[in-house]
Amino acid sequence: MSAPRHLSPSSAAILRAVIAAIRPRGHGFDQPIDEDVLLEVDRCLPCLPALARAALPLGLRLLEWGPAPFFRRFTRLSAMPRDEARAYLQGWLDSRLALRRLLVHGLRALVFLAFYQHPSVLRAMGVGWDRRLAETVRLRADTLDREKYGYPR
Amino acid sequence: MAIPAELPAEVSARIPERGLAYPNCESGRGARRGAALAADVLVVGSGAGGAVAACLLAEAGLDVLMLEEGSLHRTESFSTDVLAMMRALYRDLGGSMILGRPPIVFAEGRCVGGSTVINGGMYWRTPPRILERWEREDGLPEIGPRAMETAFAEVEREANPETQADDTLGVHHRLFADAARALGWHPRENLRNMRRCAGLNNCAFGCPTGAKQSTLVTWVPRALRAGARLSADAYVDRVLFEGGRAVGVRGRYLGADGRPSDRFSAHAPMVVLAAGARHTAGILKRSRLRARPIGRHLTVHPNAKVVGIFDQTIRPWWGAHQAHQIHDFLDDGILIGYAVPPPGLLAAALPGLGERSAELMALYDHMFPVGCLIEDTSSGRVVLGLDRQPQMLYSLSRRDTATAHEGVAKVCELLFAAGARRCLLPFADLAEIGSPDEIRRIRARPPDPRGLELMTVHIMGSARMAADPRRGATDPFGRVFDVAGLYVADASLFPSPIGVNPQETIMALVTRNARRWLERDVPRLRAARRDRA
Repeated sequence: MSAPRHLSPSSAAILRAVIAAIRPRGHGFDQPIDEDVLLEVDRCLPCLPALARAALPLGLRLLEWGPAPFFRRFTRLSAMPRDEARAYLQGWLDSRLALRRLLVHGLRALVFLAFYQHPSVLRAMGVGWDRRLAETVRLRADTLDREKYGYPR
Repeated sequence: MAIPAELPAEVSARIPERGLAYPNCESGRGARRGAALAADVLVVGSGAGGAVAACLLAEAGLDVLMLEEGSLHRTESFSTDVLAMMRALYRDLGGSMILGRPPIVFAEGRCVGGSTVINGGMYWRTPPRILERWEREDGLPEIGPRAMETAFAEVEREANPETQADDTLGVHHRLFADAARALGWHPRENLRNMRRCAGLNNCAFGCPTGAKQSTLVTWVPRALRAGARLSADAYVDRVLFEGGRAVGVRGRYLGADGRPSDRFSAHAPMVVLAAGARHTAGILKRSRLRARPIGRHLTVHPNAKVVGIFDQTIRPWWGAHQAHQIHDFLDDGILIGYAVPPPGLLAAALPGLGERSAELMALYDHMFPVGCLIEDTSSGRVVLGLDRQPQMLYSLSRRDTATAHEGVAKVCELLFAAGARRCLLPFADLAEIGSPDEIRRIRARPPDPRGLELMTVHIMGSARMAADPRRGATDPFGRVFDVAGLYVADASLFPSPIGVNPQETIMALVTRNARRWLERDVPRLRAARRDRA
């Protein structure tokens, strides 16, 4: 298993706790893919705006140490039981402070993108874009009226 | 996690857009440190505006150099691997934010071909009432519907707008059109720039079938064939001036990780900015141009979506991105359309964590998101942030919020008429309704933009054309006021929002303007070059 390239080990540990707390569960979504999700999120980090990239480690640490000031629990996020951690993160999503909302919204979007687009999840959902790809390229190749469209152009 | 496109080479070879040649195109990654480039014309950006401008100027015999911040990704590299495509083709992974009340998510392309590579391909002419207003109220000459006819016809010859073939319509297309007819509305078959779309609904992640006629497969190769050059992975920081006229740009090449590496400069007597309404304004501001209208008058076509949940399955991978629109309410500032994104993107836009998200997403194949696009009357600004990058500030007025509410209500009417069991709404304080009777709760919501969830893919107007320098950043043909040799060629030019998808308007406006530059400005440039020689 490869290690995250863009996250430090401590940031990766906090992100693991975030993923464990918010990833979908039940209803056919129990695939053991947390580490794949972490790696996929890590691959996305260079694409984020520079300010967001720079602020992410700080944001993760705020999340890690935030249960005491924001949730009245004297513990760290990564040590919280999963349901409690989820309630704590939901509190950030409902916060009046835009920056707190934005941080967890952004992480949630990345985690959900990586989770729901994982091949095993797509397979379980019966989503068929990959199968349809070859079918549509072939359909276009077979039915393209080259004369009508002026090919070769 | 790539999902390989397992295609026999023989099939792939029969797709004309696969294997297209891109002569004179280089990545800046291989360029030498401190490279100095020169041309007759520099065009910054290769999307709807930049590619068209570069092509017309190159075909007129000018030495054109296109500078594109993103990389060249060819049709044959496109796949259904959403995250890989978003990393390759989008700026900020498609998650840029317009700050204000409410914050609005904004997505744009960053690749050769710009946003034309990742848009839905909608290709509508500017509504005549908008062109008439630009002519009458904004004082722009030669821009009325009749005057623009030639430019529209010219871009349509290349882009080939056509409607979706019946054999590729999916379940959701028919649901939408039938429900609209049942309500007495008039669903319009969408015009999209395509040549025989086979209905994969992957437009937003690059068209692997080559059907979408983005500038990547049309104007860019045409410009390169005419002798233009293209430098990809080249980020332009600012314009260079000499004696009050633009003489070039400077910037940095981007490394494989997208971060700035070596510097470059490029010199030309004509500089055309076509980096989109956010970054064109950003380049102008970083170039220390102080004219007040630069960055102002930003409009964004806010979109609000409603997700209908149906008993029947939708299978959104079978059919086009968007085969119909409702134009019945354009005069009220409302356009209704739809797009079913892949699960990861839809989940990110729906509420819930953990089991709540799983419960909703288990219904993915029964979900049909329909949205309304608002022709906004609010306006915002582009400003430079702490990192010198352009940030967008915009707050929705009460009037536009009320229009958005009406749009959402109409979308719910349509979804219930189509058979939806319930509708997930874009309001924090009214998340869901379960019957048509409840639509009145939407109309009764106070027009407060807080808690309204919006997104957009259209931004316009941040360097708008005007007859008067106090009202716009450029003259009626896209020349930046008071700076010789500097031009704008993208949606920044729009004097107002247009209420429909802007791709064709950008291309036609740029065609109109480039013809004028060739007629009036280029002969002067050529004479000056002869004199210097």
